[in-house]
Amino acid sequence: MLKCKYVIFGVVISIFSLQQLVAEELNIYSHRQPFLIQPFLDAFTQKTGIKTNVLYSSKGLAQRLRSEGRNSPADVVLTVDIGRLYIYRDLGLLAVVNSDKMLENVPSHMRAADNTWFALSKRSRVIITAKDRVGTDEIKKIEDLADPKWKGRICSRPGSHVYNRALMASVIAHHGAERAEEWAIGLVNNFARRPQGNDRAQVKAIYEGVCDVGIINNYYFGKLKFSEDKNQRVWAKAMNLTFPNQGATERGAHVNISGGGVALHSKNKANAVALLEFLSDPASQQLYGEINFEYPVNPKVAPTAELQSWGVFKEDQLPIERIAELSRQAQMMIDRVGW
Amino acid sequence: MAFGPQILDWRKASVFALAFILLSPVFALIILSFGDSEGLWPHLVSSVLGKYISTTLLLMIGVGCLSLLLGVTCAWIIAAYRFRFSKWLDFIILLPIACPAYLVGYAYTDFFEYAGPVQVALRQFMGWQSARDYYFPEIRSLGGAIFVLSSVLYPYIYLLARTAFRHIPENFYEVAALSNRSVFWNIALPLGRPAIVAGLALVSMEVVSDFGTVEFFALDTLTLGIFNVWIGMDSITGAAQIATVTFAFIIILLFAELYSRGSKRFNDTSRRQAIQHAKPLVGTKSFICILICLIPIGFGFFIPVGILLWNVIMTADMAALEEVWSVLQNSVYVSVIGAFIIMLSAITIASSSKVHANKSMRIAGNLSAAGYAFPGTMLAIGVLSCLGAVDQLLSWTSIYLSGTLFALFFAYLVRFQAVGYGAVSSGLTKIPLNLMSCSRSLGLNAQQTTLRVTIPLIQKPIIAGAVLAFVDIMKELPMTLLLRPFNFETLATYSYQFAHDELMDQASLPALIIIVVGLVPVIFLNKLLRA
Repeated sequence: MLKCKYVIFGVVISIFSLQQLVAEELNIYSHRQPFLIQPFLDAFTQKTGIKTNVLYSSKGLAQRLRSEGRNSPADVVLTVDIGRLYIYRDLGLLAVVNSDKMLENVPSHMRAADNTWFALSKRSRVIITAKDRVGTDEIKKIEDLADPKWKGRICSRPGSHVYNRALMASVIAHHGAERAEEWAIGLVNNFARRPQGNDRAQVKAIYEGVCDVGIINNYYFGKLKFSEDKNQRVWAKAMNLTFPNQGATERGAHVNISGGGVALHSKNKANAVALLEFLSDPASQQLYGEINFEYPVNPKVAPTAELQSWGVFKEDQLPIERIAELSRQAQMMIDRVGW
Repeated sequence: MAFGPQILDWRKASVFALAFILLSPVFALIILSFGDSEGLWPHLVSSVLGKYISTTLLLMIGVGCLSLLLGVTCAWIIAAYRFRFSKWLDFIILLPIACPAYLVGYAYTDFFEYAGPVQVALRQFMGWQSARDYYFPEIRSLGGAIFVLSSVLYPYIYLLARTAFRHIPENFYEVAALSNRSVFWNIALPLGRPAIVAGLALVSMEVVSDFGTVEFFALDTLTLGIFNVWIGMDSITGAAQIATVTFAFIIILLFAELYSRGSKRFNDTSRRQAIQHAKPLVGTKSFICILICLIPIGFGFFIPVGILLWNVIMTADMAALEEVWSVLQNSVYVSVIGAFIIMLSAITIASSSKVHANKSMRIAGNLSAAGYAFPGTMLAIGVLSCLGAVDQLLSWTSIYLSGTLFALFFAYLVRFQAVGYGAVSSGLTKIPLNLMSCSRSLGLNAQQTTLRVTIPLIQKPIIAGAVLAFVDIMKELPMTLLLRPFNFETLATYSYQFAHDELMDQASLPALIIIVVGLVPVIFLNKLLRA
């Protein structure tokens, strides 16, 4: 009886551990939703014949990779936001990538100094305003949002979301902690409602008249403008989009990245690098703009015509790693001011 | 020799071993919390901790009270009275259990917000022009969250309370009637207490560990704080510390209730079969009963499902249906196997500690259900640590557990043991111990007693627990998301990738299917319990 149990247990375990690695497959841990990255991966498979397997989770993949240690099946890590990439590097989970092609495709301020991670696309944090209630030149800088004149007129996602935390970090980097906190207090005082919802929800709130001003990632504007949902197209139409801090002496609009790296214990490093190279290639870079309204990191590629129609903007040249370094300080500030 | 010391020890050891395995992810988190959080606590105490704690407590108390009110009221009405449609109501009162709270939250936000049908209708009717012309309660608020969570969690209390009310022997009610005391307050409520508290404990733990709803409603609870510390400050140590403190709080609450119960016994030692004849009601009284029961069902089921259904109909996309079909098979597969494993473990632990009437075993059993009090993602990290360590130990073999379905089943067991264990042990309180002693003195050993006496006697609670576990796994999101193998989607993870982006139209179809599939065992359960 007991022996029988052990046999059953053994069989069950072996079924569970059947998931062995096949050479021509690439395993991806992704913080981006599958429906966003699948078109890229399909193109990659078509070009190289390498099959891709995806595991998507918004949280905890770094911990999973770490616990799995050298047994991990993961080859490539794809994330949004510099903060998350930095965590992988900090935990020593990423391999150094030696690829001239990557160095050529991704400019130096968009990759790790030690070549462990690379940005693959850029997005800018922009200000949207209600066309009928706010003049186009009333807000020029992110700093303007703390002006008491906007009291009760601004909507925002919670501050602890990565996008806002990165923005907060960039303000700290430029103005120092003290002035940054004053700005954050001013901003919070101007909120029309408790911070809630995602970027899409802020546009909706402005359309509904709950508030007049919001901060969103630029690609949400594109997604709403070309949404299958008629209502969302109407919301986008009612908005003006402003790239902040564009004056001659200004620093430019805050940008964040999506990016990736190769897992330290990948058994498929060559193919993993091939995927990163593929994603930074001009064709894929173009696709980032077409599918998700993001900006290319590859300097040889111009933003799509649609993106250009929103205006050409100057981007903040702050080294992107600085944002990640200031993340903790930014979160503490967000806690204190109640954003 | 049936009470031979070796047999006893072997069974005892296996219960402790099982409890230890179930608790190992919790231990992993506690070990994680011993690290250095680099001055995190002074910051938390001076800024957000007070808000986290007060919001969590308010949410717990609010949801606890409202679900008690809804659950116990309906349970009493259904158990004590018979009226038109009462059999139907008995069944549909359970339906909200199949609805994941965060999806109901999404649906209600669409429904009650400014552009939603309720406010649009109000504006048209009253002639208001904009949001500034009138007051409408904000759905994304503490009150909104209490409303949403209670609407879907009250069935946990209902189910256990109703079963308990029905099992109270008829003669107890007769005594109350003869002595002119309230049957409900003096008999049903005190005797139903273990079951009601078991339900309330499940509800409280669901509330504390909920992430989806509080994130969507932007409520600063401890769970949200855990994630702010973990992701925002890159401190898994700090996150584990908050999770552990929260966990300790829940454990203290549970033990407080166990000790206040003291040595009271709630089982019937008389020979009378516990069949209670419900009082027939007609006319206005029956109408009022129907109305009361319909309130929670409407809020917890018909309205949210109606909203999802409307979304699906408006964006009829048959291509999506094909994809959802294969995802559905995964969901059913993990839920069935997971529920089976959970019940096996729950019966082993609960029945052994009952037979031995051993305090340390009972404590081990109660503790083994503690995984329920952790937020899913944190528990998943505990599971990862454990399995990672086991994999390192076994690296000389071809056995590899992380990232396989084994990891997923283990996580479900750790998290939902409480559901199975709660059902089985509250069922066991109804069985007098001397029945088992009798079986042992007639020559059956402990294992035979469990199989031939205990399990048949608590068949219904076992099935009830299995159904709850099935539905819970079906709805489970955060652990499945983090622990599943490559290319393995369940309905919850599939729906989440859209819901996460507030794309309700695409998320609605898989969400609706989660609910529909969850209903099948609930219907079955109801048939069985009534038979």
